Amino acid sequence: MSPPRSPWSGARAGPDHADLAALLARVAVGDQAAFDAMYDRVAAPVFGTVRNVVRDPGLTEEVTQEVFVEVWRAASRFDARKGSPMAWVATIAHRRAVDRVRSEQPSADRDRRAASPMIAYDDVAETVEDNLDRERVRRCLGSLTDLQREAVTLAYYGGYTYRQVAGLLGVPAGTVSTRMRDGLIRLRDCLGAGR
Amino acid sequence: MRIRRPEPHTLAGAYALDALDGPDRARFERHAARCQECTREVTGLREATARLAAAAAVPPPAALKDALRAETARTRQLPPLTRPRPAAPRPSARRLGVRRLGMRRLALALGGAAAVAAVTVWVTASLVPPAGPPSASQEIAKVLTAPDAVKLTAQVRTGGTATIVMSHHDRMLVFAAAGLRRLPAAQHYELWLIEPGRDRAAGRLPAPSHGMTGCRGRPALRRPARPDRGTRRNPPTHHADDPRTDPLAPVPGGACSGRVGIPGHRQHLIGGPQRRAADQDRLRG
Repeated sequence: MSPPRSPWSGARAGPDHADLAALLARVAVGDQAAFDAMYDRVAAPVFGTVRNVVRDPGLTEEVTQEVFVEVWRAASRFDARKGSPMAWVATIAHRRAVDRVRSEQPSADRDRRAASPMIAYDDVAETVEDNLDRERVRRCLGSLTDLQREAVTLAYYGGYTYRQVAGLLGVPAGTVSTRMRDGLIRLRDCLGAGR
Repeated sequence: MRIRRPEPHTLAGAYALDALDGPDRARFERHAARCQECTREVTGLREATARLAAAAAVPPPAALKDALRAETARTRQLPPLTRPRPAAPRPSARRLGVRRLGMRRLALALGGAAAVAAVTVWVTASLVPPAGPPSASQEIAKVLTAPDAVKLTAQVRTGGTATIVMSHHDRMLVFAAAGLRRLPAAQHYELWLIEPGRDRAAGRLPAPSHGMTGCRGRPALRRPARPDRGTRRNPPTHHADDPRTDPLAPVPGGACSGRVGIPGHRQHLIGGPQRRAADQDRLRG
């Protein structure tokens, strides 16, 4: 039986967990080709996420490189019971970007203060036509309350701590942490991202 | 145990967003080490933050990949953790599990491909201003966020890409295209669902070179039991439902109203040339 030659290719919408997990398993034994393939799949989300947080182009490349070296080093530690491979990689990327920015607090603070609370959300909204992932996320972010959405996007795309977000929005820190949690829960349910 | 600071559990969202600084983060991690529920919740929330990352995707400069190759070549990898965990499956079994999951997903993807191969995009010209059907935004959102949504992409013959997201459960699909060749003002792209004996228009793209439309494609989403002989012998241009002669009834369900234009030229834009029966056959896979 010859494989069907459909012009259509694709898979389950969203990141294809099974394929990525298989690639990571091969990366863990030093397979450079698997690493390249994995990189092609996740480089854009990683680079975009890091760039959102650190802003500086040179630093963005540096941190992105560190993220992928870490993925290479620690591939054997990926555990599918603790989440999808995309979540694992995105967590490494976001954590490292945020830590880098916070260690260079004084200058970074100044630069990033210019970012208005809605920038990240508008960035997402802007490119709707190009990217269905963006469209799904945009629609789901739109279903959050304003405070939930601002808390989530300022933290994730802006790299702010919840106490800083509280300061920016003039809301008690306890309220912000609660909104982050129920906002993310709603986002997870809307995106069907839970397990 | 009560703590005056925010109840650790309420910090799960902030933790998943990396919005806790050093001391707060350490405190939450100490708490989570004893709180399975917290760990489970963070795991779920991180799937949501990963989608925020995907939505922020920006391609990195090409040079980065080469630099990285040099870097990994001289970086020793960590061995797997070997903490004894009697109840947990062994690493090799984990991998097998992953592979099995991969096969299931693959089957789903192939099923999807077989069903959607019967979607074709035509160019029609219309004297009707492209007002389009009433907003189907709710329906579109429903498909895009359906847990069983399958995404397929294809190159459009005349340029651009087409993407379909469909939900078997909801029996609906969303079609989106970007970068299509621009059309004269009077023309628009129209989506057709091609299936045995019932080709029908399924909405048009709102803009001349891109856009998104949704439709309730009950028959088209059914997995075809066998190759679509009828249509293979009977190329769509000669079909009885030709919009030139027969105004189409709105598709049941109303998400995509088959608004009929007056066709100028029609072109098979995705898949094999329509005159080659062999290609059609394959297309219907």
